Amino acid sequence: MDQIPQIPVTVLTGFLGAGKTTLLNRILTERHGKRYAVIVNEFGQEGIDNDLVVDADEEVFEMNNGCICCTVRGDLIRILGGLMKRADKFDAIIVETTGLADPAPVAQTFFVDQDVADRTRLDAIVTVADAVHLDGQLGEHHEAEEQIAFADVVLLNKTDLVDGDGLGRVQDRIRRINPYAKIIRTERCTASLDEVIGLNAFSLDRVLAVEPDFLTSDHDHEHDDDVKSLSLVSEAPLDLGRFQTWFGRLLQTRGQDILRSKGILDFKGETERYVFQGVHMLMDGAPMGPWPKGDRVSRLVFIGRNLDTMDLDDGFASCRAT
Amino acid sequence: MPSDVTADALSGIARRAGFAETVLERQGLRLDTGAPVTAGATTGAHVAAGFGDGSVRFFHPAAQPVTVAAHRGAVLCLAPDCQTDFVLTGGDDGRFLRISPEGAVEEIANFGTRWVDCVAAGPGWRACSSGRVAHVWQAGATASRAFEHPSTVGGLAFDAKGGRLAVAHYGGATVWQRRERRWKASKLVWKGSHGAVSFSPDGKYLVTAMQENALHGWRLRDKADMRMAGYPAKIKSFAWVGDAPFLATSGADQAVCWPFDGKDGPMRRAPITRAYAGEQLCTAVAGLVGMSGVIAGFSDGCVLAGPLPDDAEDLVVKGSSGSPVAAIAISPEGWLFVGEESGRVLWVRLGGEAV
Repeated sequence: MDQIPQIPVTVLTGFLGAGKTTLLNRILTERHGKRYAVIVNEFGQEGIDNDLVVDADEEVFEMNNGCICCTVRGDLIRILGGLMKRADKFDAIIVETTGLADPAPVAQTFFVDQDVADRTRLDAIVTVADAVHLDGQLGEHHEAEEQIAFADVVLLNKTDLVDGDGLGRVQDRIRRINPYAKIIRTERCTASLDEVIGLNAFSLDRVLAVEPDFLTSDHDHEHDDDVKSLSLVSEAPLDLGRFQTWFGRLLQTRGQDILRSKGILDFKGETERYVFQGVHMLMDGAPMGPWPKGDRVSRLVFIGRNLDTMDLDDGFASCRAT
Repeated sequence: MPSDVTADALSGIARRAGFAETVLERQGLRLDTGAPVTAGATTGAHVAAGFGDGSVRFFHPAAQPVTVAAHRGAVLCLAPDCQTDFVLTGGDDGRFLRISPEGAVEEIANFGTRWVDCVAAGPGWRACSSGRVAHVWQAGATASRAFEHPSTVGGLAFDAKGGRLAVAHYGGATVWQRRERRWKASKLVWKGSHGAVSFSPDGKYLVTAMQENALHGWRLRDKADMRMAGYPAKIKSFAWVGDAPFLATSGADQAVCWPFDGKDGPMRRAPITRAYAGEQLCTAVAGLVGMSGVIAGFSDGCVLAGPLPDDAEDLVVKGSSGSPVAAIAISPEGWLFVGEESGRVLWVRLGGEAV
């Protein structure tokens, strides 16, 4: 069969006024010689400088597969399908979400819809955050927490409008929700394009490459954020069957609260490391080559709500091979 | 002769495992259009096809193909018009067009930046959808009616008499029935996203292709649900074939054909399978009511004719080319159109056996 190239899709999230459209126009107007298709929502879309702009209504629907949190973006399935029919090709697709959008259905669309997964791949979720207002938004809107939690890159924008302390505080708060996202400080979304486009953040390779930045994460408890992250480590090899039983049940029963999960696992009797990542109840994993010397340690990472009620430590410990 | 006609476009293509080029396809007209085939449909004695560069081509047994520059982007949908030999198309340029087989283009409506996702016609009626709204025109009139739905329209179909319009969307379908000048809506509920939709030829059943790997059907008399699931892939194409008739469907390694005869149609009955091409997935099907076989196109580009009688063997119509079959259409005179995602097209008269 003809090899079908997968077109990368970048998802731009962020609250209204954070600077999404500014970033979008920067991406589109920079001289990169690339052709983008842009999918925008219906509100406030003046002045997007591109010849292929598609209007969309964000239509989230529940699938009929018995998985209660498995919602997908129907409009994306339809529009990506339509774009793939065009004779004139483009290099990448950018999806801009509305300010109050939960990124999970967008990400899940790439996991569950076969046509979307065959023809396109999720490149990264880029969240534009307003350095002045993020603090307040995080307390008031759970969507703001979700947008930070799902981000592969957080563009902390308008940094010229807050002082150094304020900037440190908001950055710490982002870190506590999501220690794995790359934070880029900008004033007017002036990030270099290769920091936001072409990241391949959803490939399993990247799970191996991204290490959490624990050092900069402090532990003040001024805010009691709803969404937190948690990481687990095991130096003892794991039992495949036990892990599957525990993790499968965990995702099935608590998947609504687990926004993202990632892991690099050492199963007893396997020479290769097993790498996976998940969004709510959905996951994707594969053996990803041999372990580097002297680093045969299983790591598991969760970003979500109520993680402290899931007995994650004990559950993970019970997966050790005996 | 149009410039894009090449006498032997397929000859240079390396063959992989699958079926070799057939004598039949060598006898046919072959084009390499360079733009993905997006849709194909029989209209009168013609077959019309839509392409990813916005063009529409008409094929006729006794004439060279007519190429029409119709839409600016891709042709997203295409259906036979209620006037014989004409066709309706919708595009990502927001235009709803009616095109004559000579190539005359009439713009019925223009929705600007909003795509026209679905088009359909029934006796005396035309319809298209853009977003959540289905727009309906009576033939000869310029004013339209707008039917709004809770979510984006995934499919449109009139019944054989033109008295009902089915609209598929998220969570089910809505059937609009015309009673003395008014259209009355009736809802059919089933969770999930519903796309292409069709009434059975007798008007007793409605079937939708879902975003999941399943079809859903309703018996309209009592809204009884019919699940038609178990496919390994999405069902992108279906057609009513044979005397029963059967609903032939893509989405598996063969054409899966559901029987719609008897009192309960396919309820509690197994489908029959025809046209087996090995591990390839069936991507497009075509057939005609009363025809004794189904034409099935596959992901490697081959096309088989699978006779409906049990004891008959499949015929290879077209060999494997490497590109998935995107659309098939067959005319009542037995002419076959095959369009690939690669943009290659075959137009050929089938032998007597398959029809």
